[in-house]
Amino acid sequence: MADPVRKSERRPLFISRSVKPVAATAGPVILFTAGGMRFAVEASEVEEIQDRDDRTSIRKLKGMESIDFALQVGLGAGILDRFVVLKPGECSLGVTDVERMASLPKVVPLPGLFRGAERQWYRGLLLLENGVVPLVRADYWRKAALPAAETRSGA
Amino acid sequence: MNDTTRFVTFPLGDERYALDSSQVKELLMPSRVYSFPHTMHSLEGVLVRRGTVIPVCDLRGAFGHSAAPSFYVIARCNYAGRSETVAIPVSGDCELVQGELVGEQSDAPQDITFVSGLLRTGGRTVPLLDLDQVVSHCIQPTVTLATEAKR
Repeated sequence: MADPVRKSERRPLFISRSVKPVAATAGPVILFTAGGMRFAVEASEVEEIQDRDDRTSIRKLKGMESIDFALQVGLGAGILDRFVVLKPGECSLGVTDVERMASLPKVVPLPGLFRGAERQWYRGLLLLENGVVPLVRADYWRKAALPAAETRSGA
Repeated sequence: MNDTTRFVTFPLGDERYALDSSQVKELLMPSRVYSFPHTMHSLEGVLVRRGTVIPVCDLRGAFGHSAAPSFYVIARCNYAGRSETVAIPVSGDCELVQGELVGEQSDAPQDITFVSGLLRTGGRTVPLLDLDQVVSHCIQPTVTLATEAKR
């Protein structure tokens, strides 16, 4: 028979329930601009950042695919001065500039009223001290840049 | 149907409308709307309120008002089967009133759309806004941008 005293000693005085957080934190992110707006991508998804001149020579060697990010999200053709190369290095996002890294920003889900393509484009919204920045969904943009590769791998 | 309860009235375009106060979470003074690229008609961007983001629904297309907002009415609505929170910019004073529902949708004038009933308050009749209908009508994804093209 179990000892009632020992049993009660094991019982916690307070039961703490985890409260669902309003905002979670993301890992380090890289902030970039495209089409005059700011975006972010998780640093863990980025292989490297190249400037336009680097890319011209590298593309000849590796055949890397790239997309004009501003154009894809409806901001019109962007100025492509930087290329955010997504892992594993087969495709890149053409952007205007890479600003900086931010560590542990708060990320909230896209509100449910946003039901269009933006749900594929973005993983959520980062709440930074000076604004709200969409966190791009790297796996979606990888597929957008590499449909041919996807088809090959799916075959 | 006669039902007395509290309502929030506010101007949209040339008309005043009412929402049941239980639908209204709060009224916000004008604050910064953060915009980002998306494909939804009538969504201006988002407000940040206590660490949460609230989409701002611009109803100018449906109601024709264009003045700078005096308040944002933060209200709950049902959209695509889910309860969502939305910020409605309104230009003018908001009032909390007690009133009586004197008619349902079928009694509303035919030229008024998005009305679920009529509210009698202080000797005047105010249309009761059907926010679910308004939001469902105004907020639609544009399919053109959803198609991705590789350059």
